[in-house]
Amino acid sequence: MDIYLASVLTNMTLIAFLALSAYLVLVVGEVSFGQQAFFGIGAYITASATALAGAHIFLGLLAGAIGGAACALLLGLLTIRLSGIYFAISTLCFAELLRFFLLHLRFTQNIDGRIIGPDGPEGFSNIRWIFENHYEVADFLLLAVTCLIILLLLLFSLERSPIMLGARMVGDDPVLAQSQGLSPTRYRLSFIALSGAVAGFGGGLFALFNTHIEPAMFGVMLGIHGLAYAIIGGLGSAIGPLLGVFLDIGLLESIRQLAAYRMIIFGGLVALLLVFRPEGIVSPRLVSRLKSRWRNRHV
Amino acid sequence: MDMLQTSIDGLMIGSTYALLGLSFSLVFGIMRRINLAFGACLLFGASLAIYLEPILGWGAWGLFLVTIVGVALASAYVERLCFAPHSKRHGAVTAMVASFAVWMQLDEISSQLLPQRTHAFQGIEVPNFWWGEIFVRGDQLLHFAIALVSILFLYLLLYKTRLGLLIRATADSPETAHLLGARVPWLGFIIFLWAGILGGVAAFMILSADGYVTPLFGLWSTFKGLIVMIIGGVGSLTGAVIGGLILGLVETHAGAALGAEFRDMVTFGLVFLVLIIRPGGLMGVKIYRTDSLAQERV
Repeated sequence: MDIYLASVLTNMTLIAFLALSAYLVLVVGEVSFGQQAFFGIGAYITASATALAGAHIFLGLLAGAIGGAACALLLGLLTIRLSGIYFAISTLCFAELLRFFLLHLRFTQNIDGRIIGPDGPEGFSNIRWIFENHYEVADFLLLAVTCLIILLLLLFSLERSPIMLGARMVGDDPVLAQSQGLSPTRYRLSFIALSGAVAGFGGGLFALFNTHIEPAMFGVMLGIHGLAYAIIGGLGSAIGPLLGVFLDIGLLESIRQLAAYRMIIFGGLVALLLVFRPEGIVSPRLVSRLKSRWRNRHV
Repeated sequence: MDMLQTSIDGLMIGSTYALLGLSFSLVFGIMRRINLAFGACLLFGASLAIYLEPILGWGAWGLFLVTIVGVALASAYVERLCFAPHSKRHGAVTAMVASFAVWMQLDEISSQLLPQRTHAFQGIEVPNFWWGEIFVRGDQLLHFAIALVSILFLYLLLYKTRLGLLIRATADSPETAHLLGARVPWLGFIIFLWAGILGGVAAFMILSADGYVTPLFGLWSTFKGLIVMIIGGVGSLTGAVIGGLILGLVETHAGAALGAEFRDMVTFGLVFLVLIIRPGGLMGVKIYRTDSLAQERV
């Protein structure tokens, strides 16, 4: 496979993790501008675990996911009283504070003549896992896609369970959900933590693939992109955010010839798309219509 | 004496932040919508002004005028494309994402207008002077005065005119205002125009005080607008003014005490604390409690 194509596809797969994590927060009715921080934390933890401590990749990714979930849970607990715009802004502040922490995190070691470890604004260089294990770009793409498919299967089974139904209810109307005996706080906290885990896992893969990470990569623009993908794709199903990612990055890469003007065209197109499909492409309404048609197919 | 000097500098900068916050709060307070493209509109206005400056040759006041017109035009465009189609109650998140898409678009247009990273931005020449032992920058004093006049003007518009009354009615309850004959969509357009004009004034003041413009200005001013709005209390215009002054003071003092690097982080930390301890901001507690806003989605 062409290296360029493979790396574009890999990037799309990695950003899909971020979009899915934004989607999980949106499902419980909140908007987060801070998912990039969990992505970044996951990246740093996985990089430290594999490059500094020499852990196995799956252990490293697991640690990244747990770290992301822990940070997200901390944020969820701190903002337990907040919702709507207040929650959105506090996620933004929290993410920037975490990034500031990364900017000042210095813990370098000299391993085999290479300086490895987080080094303030310079970032974390020499994450050599893919070289040491002789991974080509295409091999890594396969690994990332496999992880994404496993995550999607998990999310689909979640989608069929009462948990997701409860979460959507909490997102639509917390008061109604409460009157049905659901605890909005518990749903919110667990979905925020889950979103942190997904973002952290994706961040870990990102660190391994990029071999160099720095705090500037995890700015707020990254998070807003993830959020936008989830909304453009629609909140009806976990397929939605993926569609958003593919539409944006996929289309952007395919009109590379128009490089200078592509955001001018694309930004306008997205705004127009939202005029005609305000709930995104895979809207909840579309999903329920398709489901009922599928159920009544023999009637 | 240093403290006093820093405080005065802070108030001067704070007055421009207050305008940013007012412009942001006007849209959120009345329409309950976050305009992420806010900063991009300011950047677009400033870029247009610099682009047209050699053609028109009107000097600093020309820059001022073109910036305001440019920002107002961009705001009107954003309102038509991103906010007017999503005026229903549940359209808030969609409108926000649409405005994000247009932010990218306006950013790209601005960078087409200004191909280099930094461009000089001419200010209005006013001599600096010493007032006792305090150094006062003439242009900043002028900006302070312009900010005061703009705030006064907005106050008169909102509280002393019929149009202002209609807008305040819409802010209270769009449904009732609509039933009583107010043309709510048209009012939304007017609000965006006003916010654009205020934002244009703020953009000119900030950029001419700095003396240059970079593509990062868009993101920066959206953040400042959001932060001022949160500190002052969401939806409160008085709060936005006070919040702007506080932010100016905090930033200059933090910058003087801890260095420029820590300045922004002190701000973010402060906002985070304000949100956790007093979610409604300084003036917005009543709004936060009474309004169902707290239960609403963004």
